[in-house]
Amino acid sequence: MKYVIIGAGAAGVTAAKTIREIDTSGEVVILGEEGFSPYNRYMLTDFLCDSIKEDELIHTSASVFKKIGVTFRKGEHVKAIHPQKKCIKLFHNEVVHYDKLLIATGGTPGLGPVLQPFQKHIQRYYSLEDICLLKRKMPSIQKCIVFGEGLSSLDLLCGLYNLEKQIVYIIRGTRADWDLVEPEFYGELHEFLEEKGIEIITEDRVISIEKSNHCFQVLTLKQRKLTADIVFAWDHYKPNITCIKGTGIEKKLGILVDEQMRTSEEDIYAAGDCVEIYHPGLKNYWINFGWSNAQEQGEVAGKNMAGQRETYKIQKTIVFNLKGKSLRARWWR
Amino acid sequence: MTSKKNELSIRFCGIAGDGIVTSGKILAGACAGIGLEVMVNDIYSAEIRGLGKSTTTVRFSTSKVYSMGDGIDLLIGMAAKESIAEVKDVKPGGGIIYDSSTPGDITEENSLAAHIPSEAHGYGIPLKWLANEASGTNRGRNLVAMGALCFLYSLPPDMFIHRIKTLFTRKGEKVLEANINAFQLGYQYCEEHFPLNHPFEVKEGLSPRQLISGNDALAKGAIECGLKFFAGYPITPATKIMEITAKELPKLEGWCIQAEDEIAAISAVLGASFVGKRAMTATAGPGLCLMSEMINLAVMAEIPAVIVDVQRGGPSTGLPTKVEQGDLNIALYGGAGDSPRVVMAPSTSEECYTGIQLAFDIAEKYQTPVIFLSDLFLGQRIETVFIQETIERDRCTRKKPSPDQLNNYLRYKITDDGVSPLIVPGEPGAFYTITGLEHTIRGTPNYESEVHTMMTAKRHRKFESMVVDLPRADILGDKDAEIGIASWGSTIGAILEGMAIAREEGVKSKLIKSIMIHPQHEDSFRAFFDSCKRVIVPEMNYQGQYAALLKSRYGIKPMEIHIPAVNPVSPLKIAEKILEANHGLSK
Repeated sequence: MKYVIIGAGAAGVTAAKTIREIDTSGEVVILGEEGFSPYNRYMLTDFLCDSIKEDELIHTSASVFKKIGVTFRKGEHVKAIHPQKKCIKLFHNEVVHYDKLLIATGGTPGLGPVLQPFQKHIQRYYSLEDICLLKRKMPSIQKCIVFGEGLSSLDLLCGLYNLEKQIVYIIRGTRADWDLVEPEFYGELHEFLEEKGIEIITEDRVISIEKSNHCFQVLTLKQRKLTADIVFAWDHYKPNITCIKGTGIEKKLGILVDEQMRTSEEDIYAAGDCVEIYHPGLKNYWINFGWSNAQEQGEVAGKNMAGQRETYKIQKTIVFNLKGKSLRARWWR
Repeated sequence: MTSKKNELSIRFCGIAGDGIVTSGKILAGACAGIGLEVMVNDIYSAEIRGLGKSTTTVRFSTSKVYSMGDGIDLLIGMAAKESIAEVKDVKPGGGIIYDSSTPGDITEENSLAAHIPSEAHGYGIPLKWLANEASGTNRGRNLVAMGALCFLYSLPPDMFIHRIKTLFTRKGEKVLEANINAFQLGYQYCEEHFPLNHPFEVKEGLSPRQLISGNDALAKGAIECGLKFFAGYPITPATKIMEITAKELPKLEGWCIQAEDEIAAISAVLGASFVGKRAMTATAGPGLCLMSEMINLAVMAEIPAVIVDVQRGGPSTGLPTKVEQGDLNIALYGGAGDSPRVVMAPSTSEECYTGIQLAFDIAEKYQTPVIFLSDLFLGQRIETVFIQETIERDRCTRKKPSPDQLNNYLRYKITDDGVSPLIVPGEPGAFYTITGLEHTIRGTPNYESEVHTMMTAKRHRKFESMVVDLPRADILGDKDAEIGIASWGSTIGAILEGMAIAREEGVKSKLIKSIMIHPQHEDSFRAFFDSCKRVIVPEMNYQGQYAALLKSRYGIKPMEIHIPAVNPVSPLKIAEKILEANHGLSK
């Protein structure tokens, strides 16, 4: 039996470990797109701030994979899946056959049509590679513009604040408060950020970014002209599902799966931030982003791939769990 | 953040036509151009034609490079199947560049990417597509890869461009432009797709370094110290020496001839020397076997000659393109009767240059054949060197007879130092017999026991008297160490690095090295061995030929490391042995 897992995030690695526990003789291959061993994405800001070292980010090292008999291939891009032939094709035309396939490709922040043309001027803040490159730039950076909402932006603001950078934060809404924020911050976040010296521009958005000498000129919808050494921006967070193009695997925004994490194609499973699963409470498919959720789905998928029957328990409340790591604690560092 | 790298080892692997050797030249030249220390080692198949696998490894550093080290930091797999076997040499954290523009489907078994260990980084780069974009053909994939590695390690592109221009300008503007484009496309691709590079520490203002191979240095040294006649028969890995002498000697009113075989070559060398020319041949182990009889003649007739043996794997035709130090015994003992000869073994390209000059001086002054044992790794590797050009100095010349002596010329006159006056035959008074038969002091054949004993002693006495002209052995490392190492030839480089590794582990050691294998300054060796509690003798042969010599000469009982090598010795292996010796000491 050959199990192939596309994606080396929380869902993919958990699935691989689960499979190995059940099936000790089958071949397990993980194909990760990034050039690193699997790492704790939620700790990237700690790494940016030098609170932890790079090796402390890694949760499953090459030696662990070797020990448990899982082949981990990093830097591999899957360009096609052929369900009929039960194989996938990698970027360099290598054909990898599978008996059971798991798609655990996660999600990433993306840019909408307004910001897309300025992509090369926007600093990505998502992967370990992004952070490593950012760390190189940091000594020469003083003024930062952040445009984007949600916990990811809060995490970034926290990191930049700890690094004593000057921050301008642009949001579409009237206040920097969101439903998902931990209760103690709710309704107070906006003021809290301002108290920390962060300049918040509300009800506006970035519409243009141009490079000028060593800095960036940012234009907002309300015709504000701002200057910064670096610009962070994103419009949305969405599932990575380009690899299923042409397969017939059913999808909406993400890959549609049943409670056993099965897709519409036989022997192909999906788990983590790339899937949409039916939520009886919402009466619709939904994406349950987050680390713990990805692990849980990966475990369910792994068990089912290895021949057991396990059902994913839909959570009643929408919780963005950061591994119990309080955002507030960072501010108190 | 990881600190900048100050040492890298890059390997290109491909098949004929992939530009593997050219890649090594460009990279080595670029690195030497910015003042780095460089060493390059080519490994290729013995078959001259066909699609044999070849590799070039370039190791460069901000500090002295003594060997090819252990492992590689980056493998550039120009041919996927052939490169798979090289993956094991990639260090943890190292990288592998593979061609992602394969035209058809490939299986996991034949995919280089599928063999990349999870400790290493894979860089899939469409080498073929980019080369095509640059030149309209698949040629230039190596330049695409070169551009990629230039970015991956933040090396200065200008120096690469300069080297590319140096190599390709003569091929026309179109070819040059295509190669530069290929380089730039590789650089840009990496910049875009693999922005997280691993910068190498480049120091500003260092002077460009000279690059030379052992064979180049040897030929250069021989020519500069007055070589006037070379005869040889082509053989890997010595042929380059003949190529250089063929090109240079005619400019200096000298001669280079390609003989019909090695016997003819050494015969011609003895003939040229007989008439007063500094003469040399260069061969490999199989050729040295064929030359044995004529080397014996040189011993018996006391004709100066320098015989270079660039050793390769043996016996017989053996491993033509792999290194081994297996010819020591034939060099020392390969002759009928009591047949003393000088044996020397350089350990660096600098020593190839200076050592071959010493070899000529000894040969000329003491009227003896000198066997100069280089080896494939030393002869073919290219390295940054500091060679001080030969300047006017008192060269050892042949002892000439005085006018009085010419009245009754005794070619083999018994002297205190064993050296008899020698004159070119045909000069006034210079009439004598030369023969391989035992002879009287006049050269007349004679088989009397007394004559033979006297002449044998005379021939050996030269070896006692020449010691004053020989360099003393070098003692390197920690002088107060209790672990001593004795070795010879190109193995020395790996030993020095192995000693440094062991030193980092807190274990001191010292090395005695001498270009002289026979004769040696025995007192310095004895003193060295007396100061050691443990002696290690590493060498690249199965028998432990140098160890056997040292054991019989000095009565030592060393720990021997016999490495019948196909690749240069690993410093780590040496370090392990030093640590093992230390463990034994502390028991």
